Amino acid sequence: MWDLFVSLFVNVLIWIYDVIGQNFAIAIILFTILIRIVTWPLNAQQMKGAAAMQELQNDKEWQAIQKKYAKDREKLAQEQMRIYRERKISPFSSCLPTLIQFPIIIALYQSITRALGSTPLDLLKLSRSLYDFLNVSDLIPLNSKFLWMDLGRPESIAIFGFAFPTLALIVAITTYVQAKLTMPASPNPNDQSAAMSKMMSIYMPLLLGYFALNFASGLSIYFITSNILGIIQYAMQGKANWRSLLPGGQKK
Amino acid sequence: MRKKVLFVTMALFAAALLSGCAGGPVRGLTWPGLAADDNAAYLADGPYVFAINVKDGKELWRYPTQSNNDFVFYSTPVVTPDGLVIVGSSGKNHSLIALNPTDVTQNANNTKSPAAAWTFNEAKDQWVAPPLVVDDKLFAVNSDGYLYVLDLQDGQSTKKAVKAIRIGGRLWAKPTTDGERVFLTSLDHSVIAVDIETYEVLWNDEIEGAVAGSAVLGPDGMLYVGSFASQLDKIDPASRKREPALEVENWIWSTPSLDGDTLYFADLNGNVYSFNTSTGKLNWPPIKPDGPITASPLIQNDHILIATESGSLFAIDRDGNVLWNQEVGGKIYTTPVASGDLVLVAPLETEFYLAALDQNGRQVWTFTPEN
Repeated sequence: MWDLFVSLFVNVLIWIYDVIGQNFAIAIILFTILIRIVTWPLNAQQMKGAAAMQELQNDKEWQAIQKKYAKDREKLAQEQMRIYRERKISPFSSCLPTLIQFPIIIALYQSITRALGSTPLDLLKLSRSLYDFLNVSDLIPLNSKFLWMDLGRPESIAIFGFAFPTLALIVAITTYVQAKLTMPASPNPNDQSAAMSKMMSIYMPLLLGYFALNFASGLSIYFITSNILGIIQYAMQGKANWRSLLPGGQKK
Repeated sequence: MRKKVLFVTMALFAAALLSGCAGGPVRGLTWPGLAADDNAAYLADGPYVFAINVKDGKELWRYPTQSNNDFVFYSTPVVTPDGLVIVGSSGKNHSLIALNPTDVTQNANNTKSPAAAWTFNEAKDQWVAPPLVVDDKLFAVNSDGYLYVLDLQDGQSTKKAVKAIRIGGRLWAKPTTDGERVFLTSLDHSVIAVDIETYEVLWNDEIEGAVAGSAVLGPDGMLYVGSFASQLDKIDPASRKREPALEVENWIWSTPSLDGDTLYFADLNGNVYSFNTSTGKLNWPPIKPDGPITASPLIQNDHILIATESGSLFAIDRDGNVLWNQEVGGKIYTTPVASGDLVLVAPLETEFYLAALDQNGRQVWTFTPEN
């Protein structure tokens, strides 16, 4: 089942590669746009869910309940569920798109390495992944070079003998910017949701930066494109919190 | 809090999965390289190159003593007339290493390891193809698209002005020679001829498909090349005239094996072909053992051995009749090799790394490293 999923990614990537004139980096960028379009409803749901959770944290009734049942966690949980029900809030809707990212990242990583076939076994697996109707076996092997990068390998630029990981840095920065922009401002110091967002804005750039540092640079192209698209999406909806990029900008 | 736990769990899961796929010095990234002389088998299998005594299947030595990211081996080793074992690495340094089996030392944990006579570190990508030894020179092609001509004694470039000869594409197949020219094949859909003395590229001609196997020089002086275009091409190296010799069902992965004027080869659908270069026709209709075939047929006195991905070894006679078949286990992608009366097979996805069979397919020993 998983292999069918990876094969689908491989064939879509190679089809795009063929259509646009055999540039694998552009194929990854267009594929990322496609993924963002497909997951658009989920992203919209995330924003809606995050906003609802944020409103709840600042809600007087909820704050009163928190205070009232501070020592009775069971009752507090019951009241929390009641409020979720009444206001039609799904607590997991805001993190679902983030979780959906992981299988996509894994499948994309596997499809990039398989499509580029850098070892004989990868190339053999690729031969079995190709859909007959696409008739693309004459494109094999794909051109893995883009600018200074080999898309099937981790990227770095040698500067004064030091391997400088340019893409990993860009991945970390764009992930941080996106996380900060989407982080809602909260006046409530006990706001767990805000604390969670703050934690995510630190750990996600480090995690994705680590991935970019160690894995195929094609994956970094996906991260960067996805982050930039996310930033544009929030900005176009007027929800980007640009002030949060500045030191102390989170406070209202 | 629940979201935090969920996020961290998923992140760790993703990291573990990605790490598993990314490799490092692990076994099974691709199939091993295998060579043998009368005394030892040389198995390039992930983090190590093993030398195994063919008499009893015991480890003679391994290189390096401890696995590390500098070395990942799966290129077929080459044993030179002087007894050096030359093998390319796909690890961090992309090294081509000449090991000297006569200079073996034992370290503290009782692991024996040979000294490296020399190491060549100037290639930019992984070594998949074994080098070709011609007199005192080594013609080594790398996945970076370059042909490196090295002095066999010290691993240095034989011409200081010519460090490497740009060919292009990924070069995964051992070069072939007719004594005057060296013929190369590329995954970049091309066949190339290089002057053996001047290293000048004489011609670089495109063909329909990627080529992962070597070109074979037939008794008729023609070059035969199997490709991912699912055809066997015949090329006149003098006139560069090319024509399809035979169309087959699927990709031809491996180098065809020449036996007299007959080429034996297979495709990824598992068909075995016997092609007569004199008549330009098949000697008999293709036979289909039991699975896809990436290994080259091994020509023996009495029969031809075919290893399949299904983990079987088939012995066929020269009329295409199956004499016996033996299930070895795992998946066999590597071309079997002969050592004396034994046939050595290196499967993937089995507990053992190497198996020795007699001429009737009976297992004599298996080799599994102790640590």
